[in-house]
Amino acid sequence: MLVALLIEDFILQLGCEIVGMAMRLEPALDLARTIDIDVAILDINLAGKPSFPVAEILQARGIPFVFASGYGAAGLDGSGISAPVLQKPFDVGDVRRLLTAAL
Amino acid sequence: MAENNRAEGAGAISAADASQDAFAFLGKGGEIRQLIRNFDWSATPLGRVETWPGSLRTATALLLQSPVPIVMLWGEHGIMIYNDAYSGFAGKRHPQLLGSRVREGWAEIADFNDNVMKVGLSGGTLAYRDQELTLHRRGVPEQVWMNLDYSPVLDETGTPAGVVAIVVETTREVLARQRIAREHERLLQLFAQAPTFMAMLRGENHVFELVNPNYQALIGNRDVIGKPVSEALPELADQGFGDLLDEAYRSGEPVSRWSERLILVRSLATGPEERFVDFVYQPITADSGEVTHIFVQGSDVTERVIAEHRQRLLVNELNHRVKNTLASVQAITSQTLRGAMSLKEASDSINGRILALSRAHNMLTAQNWTGADLNEVLETALSTHDDPDRPQLDVTSPPLRLEPHAALSLALALHELAINAAKFGALSRTEGRVEIICETVVVDDRDVFRMTWREIGGPPVHAPQRRGFGSHLLERALPAELSGQVRIHHRPDGLVFELAAPLSAIREGVGLG
Repeated sequence: MLVALLIEDFILQLGCEIVGMAMRLEPALDLARTIDIDVAILDINLAGKPSFPVAEILQARGIPFVFASGYGAAGLDGSGISAPVLQKPFDVGDVRRLLTAAL
Repeated sequence: MAENNRAEGAGAISAADASQDAFAFLGKGGEIRQLIRNFDWSATPLGRVETWPGSLRTATALLLQSPVPIVMLWGEHGIMIYNDAYSGFAGKRHPQLLGSRVREGWAEIADFNDNVMKVGLSGGTLAYRDQELTLHRRGVPEQVWMNLDYSPVLDETGTPAGVVAIVVETTREVLARQRIAREHERLLQLFAQAPTFMAMLRGENHVFELVNPNYQALIGNRDVIGKPVSEALPELADQGFGDLLDEAYRSGEPVSRWSERLILVRSLATGPEERFVDFVYQPITADSGEVTHIFVQGSDVTERVIAEHRQRLLVNELNHRVKNTLASVQAITSQTLRGAMSLKEASDSINGRILALSRAHNMLTAQNWTGADLNEVLETALSTHDDPDRPQLDVTSPPLRLEPHAALSLALALHELAINAAKFGALSRTEGRVEIICETVVVDDRDVFRMTWREIGGPPVHAPQRRGFGSHLLERALPAELSGQVRIHHRPDGLVFELAAPLSAIREGVGLG
C-alpha cells in the first residue's frame, strides 16, 4: 500500500496523471480490461497473488507496462513474460527511465 | 662306544674309516646326525645302533636326507628319531625329544599320538590337514596348525615296526586365512551396517550380487539378487542410470552424481516416488585390469534437498520482504518530508510511522503472516495513543479475522487517524473522546465491514489546506487496498471518518485477491 503511494508520488512528479489504482488481483483485472491508459506499473505480487494475468490482458490490448518487484528481474522467472522490472526500492529516476523505455 | 665314535668322527672320516663306522649310514653334516651319534641308544628299547635292523637304519637314513620335517616313531613306544627340519619345528623340546617315547615327549598330545601309534602299527595311514594342536614348545601353551601325514614303516618281516610322520606346520597360513576371513566378515558387516546404500553389480548386464539393508530400503521390498538392473529396477534403467552404469563399466572410470533426482516405484501400491540421491558407480577390476563389477554406493539425500530448496525459497522471500519494507520506509520518508513544515515535525512523523509499520509487522510475524484479529489490530495501532488511566478511546468491534494486507493497511490508517486527532482533533484536549465502531452489516445482499471513527469534544476542525502523507494513505491507498470507500467529514464538532469495504476483501482466507 505504501509502495503504491510512493509510485503515485513519483508519477505525479514526472508530470503524468494517475488514472486508476488497484491493490488486489480482481480489481486490477477489471481495471486492465477497461481502463484507457498510456502505461501501467504492475507490482508482481498483489496481496500474495502474481499479477501476470493482468500483464497478459495489457499485452493483448497493446498497452505497455513495467513491473515493480522486491524480487527484481528474478520475480518474472517461469512467467513467460518479459518486461522491464523496477527493483524495489527505487527512485524517481528509475521510474522515469523504465517508463521512457516502455513507451 | 658313543665316545669312541665321536672321537673318530671329530676329524675328517676317511673312506676306510667310514666302512668301519657304525653310524656311516646317517650320512654327513647337520646337528641332528651328531646328536644321534652321541645318544645312548642302549638306554632305549632300540638298543645300540649296531644292533638296529636294516629297516630302521634305512628309514632313519631316508628321513635324515629330507628337507621336510619328518619324525619316526619306532616300536610300540614310538621312540622318536627326527631330522634337522623337525628339530626346528620342535623348538625348545629339541634335543630332549630325540630318543624319547612319543607319548612322554609330547605329553600334552599323548592321546593324539596314542591313536597315531595304534593306527600306524596296525598298518594304517593317517592324514590331517591344518590339524589344530596345542603344544608347549617354548614353555607356554601355543596353538598351532599342521598338515600331518602318518604311514607305517615295515620291518624285514613286513610287519609295521614304526610310524613315520611328515609334519608341515601351517600355523602361519591358517592364521593368514583366518585374518582374511575375519576381514571379509568385517567387510560384510560394514556393508550391512553402513549408513549409506551399497550394492555390487556383476558383469556387463549389471547383475545384482549383493545389496545392503539401506539399498533394500531405497528400492523397496523387491527381490533383486541375481537379476540385471534393467529387469530388477526397470524404472531406473529408463531414467538414464542404465547408460551411466554402461559408461562406468566400459571406461573403468568411476561415475558420481550429487543430488540426482530419480523416480522410484518401490511398490505398485505406493506408485512413483521422487527421491534425491548422492551416489558413486565404482568399477571393480580383476588382476587383468578388466572391469568385472560395479560397486554402487550412495545416500538418499531427499530430506537434505528439500531442506535446501525450502531454505532458498525462504531466503528469496526474506529478500523480497526486506526490499518491500525498504520501499515502504522510502514512501514514508519521502512523502512525509514533502509535506513537512519543519524538520522536527518531519522527523517525529517519520519515526511514528516507521514504528507503526514495525508494530504491525510484529503483530503479523507473531502469527506467521497468516492474518490477525481485528481487536489485535486496533490494540496494536491505538495503544500508544491512549492512556489507560484516562481513556479517551471508546472501541467497539466484533470478533473478526483479517487477512494480513488488510490488517497492515488498517493498522497504518488507524495510526494516521490517531496522530491527526492528537495534533488537531479530539485527542489534543483532555476532555476529547474518540468513538470507534467496527461492525459488519448486510448491504444489497453483501457482507460489508464498516468502521466509523468519530471525534467528540475536540476543537472545531477544518478541512486541511494541504494533502500530505496521511490524507493520501486514508483517502487513496486504503480504499484501493480494501476495495472499499472512505469518507472523511470535517464537521465543526469533530472529524468523522467512515470506511466501508466488502467483508470478502478483508476477511482471512477469502480475500478477493
